[in-house]
Amino acid sequence: MRLEKCWFCSSTIYPGHGIEFVRNDANIFRFCRSKCHKNFKMKRNPRKVKWTKAYRRLLGKDMTQDSTFEFERKRNRPERYDRNIAENTLKAIKKIDKIRSDRASDHIKNRLKTGKIQRQKEARKQLEQDIHLVKAPLALAQDSSLYLPKIKVNVSQTRTEENQPMEG
Amino acid sequence: MAVSFASRCSRVGRSLMGGLGNNFCNLPSTSSEMTCGSFLSQQQRTFIQMRTVLKVVDNSGAKKVMCIQALKGKKGARLGDTIIASVKEAMPNGKVKKGKVVYGVVVRAAMQRGRCDGSEVKFDDNAVVLVDKQGQPIGTRVFGPVPHELRQKKHVKILTLAGHIA
Repeated sequence: MRLEKCWFCSSTIYPGHGIEFVRNDANIFRFCRSKCHKNFKMKRNPRKVKWTKAYRRLLGKDMTQDSTFEFERKRNRPERYDRNIAENTLKAIKKIDKIRSDRASDHIKNRLKTGKIQRQKEARKQLEQDIHLVKAPLALAQDSSLYLPKIKVNVSQTRTEENQPMEG
Repeated sequence: MAVSFASRCSRVGRSLMGGLGNNFCNLPSTSSEMTCGSFLSQQQRTFIQMRTVLKVVDNSGAKKVMCIQALKGKKGARLGDTIIASVKEAMPNGKVKKGKVVYGVVVRAAMQRGRCDGSEVKFDDNAVVLVDKQGQPIGTRVFGPVPHELRQKKHVKILTLAGHIA
């Protein structure tokens, strides 16, 4: 049993799923589902189709280089069965999967960080400049609650016991 | 309304592209045409039955062969089955001549065939290798990929002659 990758979307094809198309030049194309197969028949280039891994990796949206990918390289030599090795491999697969997905989500988070900071900056600027659309400037001068004042609240360390027996 | 919009879109698209690259025309036109044209672009692949013309992929001399009977199978022959065929087109000097009735083993079928692990395989065209009544290939070479379903059908000789096993 071997877990293949879909030619179009690069997702794993589990046994019992998908269609394998063998072209006359002996190139084998594996598809995970008919969506990918139909896109292939339409001669669409996966590198241009937004939801595929090929597109995402090409544009740097997903992680491309990582040491965890080395574990998934295709090996054509069958390994002699050893129970201990098999057990350790199964444990390692779980761990490596977790590490890889953590790193991938971190990559995406870092990528989106600059956008978040930019949006916050713009929001702050808009609040300062365009507050007159919401409330008249004269009214604003009297009522300062529409600004973002920095309120310092001193939290006292001692807890008050009075609040607790209220529900009884 | 959708149909007229789609036809207008395709007309504009074709006039712009001049009908050149398939890839260019595909993207703007298929996105709008998909709804009305999807059932036209789906080809239903079926069995190999009487009157099916198959390509001959060995060097026995024949080029095209028409199936006259699918041995085994009420609906028709599939990948790996044997058929009786009539040679329709042949090379001028070959072992088989036009009009001869031969047996053949289907080595490539456009209809998908289920494999034992649950997946399905399909090839690009319908191709056949001519054999004699005992199942031994007439030719000495086989071109193109062949499936490893042949092993189960005991056509080992064809597998050994094959250049590529799918």
